[in-house]
Amino acid sequence: MQISLKIALIVILLIYLFCISKSVKRKNMKIGYLIFWCITGLILIIALLAPNFVENISIFLGFGLPINMIFSCAIFIILYLTFDLTKQITKVEKQNVLLIQELSLLKTEMKQLKNKNELEDKDERI
Amino acid sequence: MKKIILVIPAYNEEENILKTINNINKNSDRIDYIVINDGSTDNTENILEKNNINHIKLVNNLGIGGAVQTGYKYALKNNYDIAIQFDGDGQHDISYVNKICEPIINGQADMVIGTRYLDKRESSFQSTFMRRLGSNIISFFIKLLCRKKITDPTSGFRAVNKKVIEEFANDYPTEYPEPESTVSLLVGGYKIEEVPVSMNPREGGKSSIRLGKTIDYMIKVVLAIIIDSISFKKKRRKK
Repeated sequence: MQISLKIALIVILLIYLFCISKSVKRKNMKIGYLIFWCITGLILIIALLAPNFVENISIFLGFGLPINMIFSCAIFIILYLTFDLTKQITKVEKQNVLLIQELSLLKTEMKQLKNKNELEDKDERI
Repeated sequence: MKKIILVIPAYNEEENILKTINNINKNSDRIDYIVINDGSTDNTENILEKNNINHIKLVNNLGIGGAVQTGYKYALKNNYDIAIQFDGDGQHDISYVNKICEPIINGQADMVIGTRYLDKRESSFQSTFMRRLGSNIISFFIKLLCRKKITDPTSGFRAVNKKVIEEFANDYPTEYPEPESTVSLLVGGYKIEEVPVSMNPREGGKSSIRLGKTIDYMIKVVLAIIIDSISFKKKRRKK
């Protein structure tokens, strides 16, 4: 691997790790996702520091070129992630609909009760 | 005497809603109604509030399916025997309410669909060619999957009994509600009847179905009802 390419990859990785650590600090991600991103980051670091290791694995698995293996892995991981995300979105949407409906029903009921109370108060005063 | 309620979904219907409600008050003897204001961005809420119209304001826009389901939840909570879905845009004719309720009161059906294609004399408004073609295609697939001819599966004028109100309050398809709910009931072993009604062309506002998207809509509806028929059959077996 050319030294300039290596430096570029390392810089990208550092930014990536920085983003993950920021998410850890702000706690704006579920632990499960965080673990997933950390493991991905770790694998990338290993691949960068020990390119021979990656090469040996790809030859062992029959990929021919290491880059083929990396691309295949990346595509499958991204496929899985988007699949999971669409599932999650559908679930969240359903929960959202239920919440809006129940909230609106409650609000209406409350308003009706309030009106009724006001009317009764007026009656009593008269 | 059965307790009947009209569920009227309304999204940005400031031009039509008052007319619809006045027609209801004029035409029928003491029918309850509930307007579901589906997060309208225009003056609908003000009109409803000012005229003291019984309504629920959804805090966010849910689309027709979510709005109608809210109506069924309300009907279930308030112990209604029959719920009638009725459009707020003046397309449906209030004088058909008795006719549409009849098969339910007699126990002949769990759901009654008001159909504009059954009797050509009944309906002066038969809607556009594309819409009829779409209805025919959906009908064909429903016949194929459920072995029951439904002439107007996209009609939004329908009455359901208490059992179905319960069912819909718990689980109502929100993406393509009319055809999908029809299929889910048929697969669940409920009886559906059709009654010829007359519908008026829209008096104002915009239809929720846009012409350019008809083909896209057709493909998705057909897929949705195929998936529904499979998943509901599975659910039924589990029961």
